[in-house]
Amino acid sequence: MPAPKANLDWEALSLRLTFGILTIVAMIFLVAPTIVVLITSLTSSESLRFPPPGLSLRWYFALIDADQMQRAAWNSLVIAFWTTLISVALGTAASLALARSRSKWVRAADLLFMSPLLLPALAFGFAALVYINKLGFSPSVPFLVAGHVIVCVPFVLRTTVAALSQLDPSLLDASISLGGTPWMTFRRVILPLIAPGLASGAFLCFMASFDNVPVSLFLADERTEVLPIHLWQQIDTNLDVRTAAASGLIVIFTLILMLITERVAGLTQQMR
Amino acid sequence: MALRGHRLQLDNITQRFNDYVAVSDINLDVAGGEMVALLGPSGCGKSTLLRIVSGFIRQTEGSVLFDGQPVDHLSPSQRGVGIVFQNYALFPHMTVADNVAYGLQAHKWPAEKIKPRVAEMLALVHMTEFAERKPRQLSGGQQQRIALARCLAIDPKVLLLDEPFGALDKNLRLDMQIEVKRLVREAGVTTILVTHDQEEALSMADRIAVMSRGRIEQVSPPTEIYDKPQTLFVNQFVGTTNAIPGEYFCVGNKAKVTFAGGSSLDVPKTPGYIDSSKVVVSIRPEQLHVVPSAGLVGTVKAVMPLGSHVVYDIEVPAGVSLKVSEPREGRVAMRRTGETVHVAPTSPDACHVFPAS
Repeated sequence: MPAPKANLDWEALSLRLTFGILTIVAMIFLVAPTIVVLITSLTSSESLRFPPPGLSLRWYFALIDADQMQRAAWNSLVIAFWTTLISVALGTAASLALARSRSKWVRAADLLFMSPLLLPALAFGFAALVYINKLGFSPSVPFLVAGHVIVCVPFVLRTTVAALSQLDPSLLDASISLGGTPWMTFRRVILPLIAPGLASGAFLCFMASFDNVPVSLFLADERTEVLPIHLWQQIDTNLDVRTAAASGLIVIFTLILMLITERVAGLTQQMR
Repeated sequence: MALRGHRLQLDNITQRFNDYVAVSDINLDVAGGEMVALLGPSGCGKSTLLRIVSGFIRQTEGSVLFDGQPVDHLSPSQRGVGIVFQNYALFPHMTVADNVAYGLQAHKWPAEKIKPRVAEMLALVHMTEFAERKPRQLSGGQQQRIALARCLAIDPKVLLLDEPFGALDKNLRLDMQIEVKRLVREAGVTTILVTHDQEEALSMADRIAVMSRGRIEQVSPPTEIYDKPQTLFVNQFVGTTNAIPGEYFCVGNKAKVTFAGGSSLDVPKTPGYIDSSKVVVSIRPEQLHVVPSAGLVGTVKAVMPLGSHVVYDIEVPAGVSLKVSEPREGRVAMRRTGETVHVAPTSPDACHVFPAS
């Protein structure tokens, strides 16, 4: 039949075209700037310039003495750590209900938990600040972590719900009919089988918290400066070349974390 | 009273989902160590009944009893029901040995007793050398053995087999049916086999409960289900049959059914019918013969030589086509398509009379 075949060709063509365009856009706007930053960070000169006149690691060594930047980086890591820990715990618990129940209340809760992805984080950050002040509190690290959890939990939720929906329900019935308690079923059957999904969700969550600006902008107190905001201020005020070196480190750190996640998730997949 | 195994009783069980009645007024008494098959088409309520026995569904009405004691208040993890799932449901991330040990760990067996028990169960199903394999490295039949070993390890009161052979290919299926029957016999465990496959039910079960639309139509041993079906549904669902509509007449102490074309057949005298009652006569293909004269006159529409038997499709004026199965003996020439033949039942007792629906 000629007609369906022509149809199929169009589909294949449009798929290839979209895929190709997306790849090109990603190369131009994602990979190229990353390479530019990495090269710029290796400059031997005193100013941010591309291409650099000469190559050296001097700005990376300069980071060793950048106390303020180090403190900001440490703050960001600690906040991202707590955010991830809490998001994974809450996200897993919520997704267990989300994956199994079809009730409209659970559907509504799902939409509510996912809404931070749609709501502008800037508006949320501002509103949260006003709200906290109204309650008589001032911005602090616990509030900052709470704010991060709200905007980062969707990442855990989505990957975990997806992993749970892949889980064969008869495995749970098998565990229970063999005398397993709900806790044993969760620990010995559910958790090992959704671990890859959970790991990738945790990775996304950690990165989303680590480079979150809009929530941190409003909820961080003066003493807790986070890395992305500190870097922005350095660029804004004195075009500090160390920011390029810091960006370079972040890129490398992200790549390593990404590879580890892939390795862990991949390995667990192999174990199935 | 059987020496081993626990008696299972289903007492007036009804299950409604909103307005839909999934199972209705089910009564079944399974002796200790007996294997009963729940046989029926999909949607007949057999799976719902299985989930009620295992405790995953709390029935709307009625009671499940083990050894005469109601177990309705017991959760599925406390009930002691082993289930072999259609897809086996082996834990994919655990080894074969860990799968078998799972139920023992759940029942808080001491570690030093778990190991020998696992070894014992693996030996029972001839899978000892596969202890450290993952389920995905096993064939379907091997996975099923492990699923069975995992269930039997905890010494369940009742074993439920949920369409256990559906995923196996035909050659392996018979081997596994024999194997499972042996293992269940040896364990002496009361077993419910849920299936839509009549051959599976006929070959495995001590008794068969045929289900249709949420009700049990008949509970009888396999041969009786086949030879003495109590309803037309049972007759048609178990084995193949020819159903011919007609009218029932009493002639002295005999009875006959007349058909649309004016022909008639002698049938056993069946209580509950008056003259001219609309009935359906059911005759199995192997109980019909091509005869020189008398019986029903028809035209051969198709000839299907199936190995040891030949099946004829013969159209009769009664408005139906009959399947006739005859042994294929060398000296009798096969009929040819288009030939006019006479067809008669081997005896009046081969005819079952059911009310026309």
